[in-house]
Amino acid sequence: MPRFTITASGKSTAYLLLSAMMLTMIACAPASRNEEFFGRTDPPADNIFRYVSGDEPESLDPQLSSGQPESRIFMALYEGLVEYDGKTMDPVPAIAERWDENNDSSEFVFHLRHNARWSNGDSISAKDFVYSLRRGVSPELLSRSASLAFYIRNAENYNQGAVFARDPKTGQFVLEKDVAPPSSTVMPLSETPLTAGATEYKSTSPEASQDTPFHQVMHSPERLALPGDEKSRNALISKNPKIKAALDGKEFVKVTGEDVGIEAIDDYTVRISLRQSTPFFVGLLANQFFRLVPQKAIEQFGREWTNPAHIVTNGAFKMKSWRPYNELMVVKDPMYWDAANVRLDGIRFFPLADQPTMMNLYRVGDIDASPNHSIISAWVDEVRYKKDYMAASEAAVIYVVMNTTKPPMNDIRVRRAFDLALDKELARKWRKIVKPLHGITPNEIFAGYPEPKGSHYDPARARQLLGEAGYPVIQNPNGSFSCPSFPINQVEYTFPTAASNKITAEFWQEQWKQNLGITVPLRSMEFKTFIDSRSKLEYKGMAFGAWGADYMDPFTFLSLFYTPENDNNTGWWDKRYVELLDEANRTPDRAKRYALLGQAEQLMVDAQPIIPIETGTVNWTKKPYVKGMYPNAGSVFPWKHVYIERDRSKWDYSTPSLTPERTEQVARTTSSN
Amino acid sequence: MLRFIIRRLLITIPTILVVITLTWGLVKLAPGNFYSSEKAIAKPIREKIKERYGWDKPWYVQYGKVMWPIVRHFDFGNSLRYQGQSVTGIIARSVPVSAAIGLLAFLLALIVGITAGSLAALKQNSKLDYASMALAMLGISIPNFVVGPLLVLLFSMTLYWLPPARWNGVFSRNVILPVLTLSPIYMAYIARLTRAGMLEVLRSDYIRTARAKGLSERAVIIRHGLRAGLMPVVSFTGPSLAFLLTGTVVVERIFALPGLGNYFIQASLNRDEPLIIGIVAFIAITLLLMNLLVDIAYAYLDPRIRY
Repeated sequence: MPRFTITASGKSTAYLLLSAMMLTMIACAPASRNEEFFGRTDPPADNIFRYVSGDEPESLDPQLSSGQPESRIFMALYEGLVEYDGKTMDPVPAIAERWDENNDSSEFVFHLRHNARWSNGDSISAKDFVYSLRRGVSPELLSRSASLAFYIRNAENYNQGAVFARDPKTGQFVLEKDVAPPSSTVMPLSETPLTAGATEYKSTSPEASQDTPFHQVMHSPERLALPGDEKSRNALISKNPKIKAALDGKEFVKVTGEDVGIEAIDDYTVRISLRQSTPFFVGLLANQFFRLVPQKAIEQFGREWTNPAHIVTNGAFKMKSWRPYNELMVVKDPMYWDAANVRLDGIRFFPLADQPTMMNLYRVGDIDASPNHSIISAWVDEVRYKKDYMAASEAAVIYVVMNTTKPPMNDIRVRRAFDLALDKELARKWRKIVKPLHGITPNEIFAGYPEPKGSHYDPARARQLLGEAGYPVIQNPNGSFSCPSFPINQVEYTFPTAASNKITAEFWQEQWKQNLGITVPLRSMEFKTFIDSRSKLEYKGMAFGAWGADYMDPFTFLSLFYTPENDNNTGWWDKRYVELLDEANRTPDRAKRYALLGQAEQLMVDAQPIIPIETGTVNWTKKPYVKGMYPNAGSVFPWKHVYIERDRSKWDYSTPSLTPERTEQVARTTSSN
Repeated sequence: MLRFIIRRLLITIPTILVVITLTWGLVKLAPGNFYSSEKAIAKPIREKIKERYGWDKPWYVQYGKVMWPIVRHFDFGNSLRYQGQSVTGIIARSVPVSAAIGLLAFLLALIVGITAGSLAALKQNSKLDYASMALAMLGISIPNFVVGPLLVLLFSMTLYWLPPARWNGVFSRNVILPVLTLSPIYMAYIARLTRAGMLEVLRSDYIRTARAKGLSERAVIIRHGLRAGLMPVVSFTGPSLAFLLTGTVVVERIFALPGLGNYFIQASLNRDEPLIIGIVAFIAITLLLMNLLVDIAYAYLDPRIRY
């Protein structure tokens, strides 16, 4: 999930900074220092939680909006097969009571609870899931998040309008293996024909291996999919004689929603077939994109279905009123299957984007918790020693991307030199709350994951490397360095306009100047302009990079370097890296899988397309009377467990622990073991 | 007079069309689009988006598609970012908020500004004059993004008297701080303009004549002095009011008000083409109408002006 999306223009950033400065002046007054909490702590009179959701929601359609502000609202309104655990973010049962997983994690069977209902009282069945997924990946919807579902068979083909090739006489499809060079890699089980008895499931739930014609299709080798658009297709065919021969006399059939690997075995059983082993698949399903959408309302009202008058939801809360840019109110839904355990009567979401404003509202007690990253750096020292400050490692990272396609950054020695010349330890001390980063996966988030060996600050080695690359660094008589031969007009550091980005950029600039004698020009760009220039690799030298987890697995970060299509904005791609990741995902044993993923990451780190900078920290505040809300690594809050505690003795007087309680662990255990 | 108004209104139409065209061109030139985000988008999807929104067509076709509904029905279409919401709906919803804050702030500025300015002019070079002009200088120099947080600090964070942000309708305490933040700069300009205008007028011959006729000082100042002395204020009012009515970005952001200014900024950052065009057109129309009103007011206030 993209993070640190900058919503302020340059000008308003200046305003932010100024207003922040003004407020710190007062905030640092001795009187407020002694307060236990940041502001007032009177619980609200009614049982309604008040929260700032961030920017105005783009849409209330969970499949369309991929942003964090929307996800905060969607977690109240919609539910899917599974939900995030409030502490660990592991998937816990939601509409699916339990699930089965086949031996290589390429097929999953979900058993739905029978009492799940929509807010209009209709019951929820397996068909709703089939509809929702097909809609989510349909090419007509144009969802930004559709790629999250591409692990599912044919989801990508359908989404991108691909075609299959079929023999008009026999009805046989051309298969991928017919044209691909014989590969040594093992096919996932879902691509191998079903064997009798289906021993591939660990548990022996009778529905799991139940056979259907659709299942047969899903369990046969992958069909060859070609681009739907004729021009790209012909280009591909003319390039590859093998494909050309295989296509002789074949007709093209468009991939449809029915080809997508999801099936309702019966009213309460859903089977999802994947195109590859995906051990983290269930965790992925908690993402907002996989939450249910109401078929009837969508078919009746089209794009207007999210209008408060028409909207039908299935979460713990339902829509009460929506005043755009002002307030979106949800109330407890009596139809919800677990309504008895929902503690709040409702939630008021206030869509607003200005961080000091959020903290002002929090301080006077107009909101009960502030959203993640609501505390700007100038305020951190004031807020972080308060008892209502929430801090924990975040599944989000910041790094510098380097344009490996253009000189001088196409030379790994130059890239390494710029990394070694940064004293990241010092930078972290100065930034106060962030954690180290050694590669692309965040520090201390994935237990048992072997993080790569990072580089250590070594300015002498950095200068030596630059010299080896043909840019000798000279020491001046006064002790400073200079590097006259370095093509400084080819390198700059570009970042999206924001006060915080600028301050950090200046810090690094100073370090490069001190240690390499190179003054890297800084360039601030409006957000969308920046994204555009970075993704087209038009930037010179270096640019800002940040990423946050879509699901709780290292792969969500590692996959940035998976496709050769430059998702990582560096131009770097290595086949060996991809093979290691594939191999890892086929490995059922978690420790072995992590070891392989770690190997891949080390390979990437050694190639140095990025300079790892820091692992983020969630930083927000909640009033001590707010319970059931935890600073988890992704800042996702299952609202149904949140409540307002009126008994002062039960209040939180520090950050609540993220260690799961025993009862919750029992609930999380699924039938898969 | 009527001919003048009709002529001016007729000129308005091509002006608006030119403004819309320029805006459209600028949006087209900006890199990125409403769909682009940090997530890389696969090529087939990019093509699909282009097709859906007609960006694969030549520029004149795209231009025609935008302009034709505007020319025919004054229809700006739907926002790209806020799915299913019409541009006119968004404007209709947010203008009352901006206008309420803007009008209240300007009203306050007029009352305080004219009073202070006239008093300063009448007692030129007195302590009162210096004090009010110093204050006015301060009002002009301190930007509202400083005034706003300071007021919030005092009235919300320290005294807990007033809410620090959010909108709860015109008749709520939430209105007070935004209005107080917005008005000082206008107050200051009006005070200075009033003072300058009054000083000039009070020295003019017809005021001397009025005094010579034996009119009371009160009648001289209010009926003859102010009427002419306020001419600069009137010309200042037109554009100022237009800007105030169409939203003030900073104040709306600091106080999280659902006004037009907030939408305008977001629309530009989101590359929300129809919404940008709609808001620019609305601002242009308001500005032109306000200027027309000012010109009409001139004729009414100053007997020397005739159209």
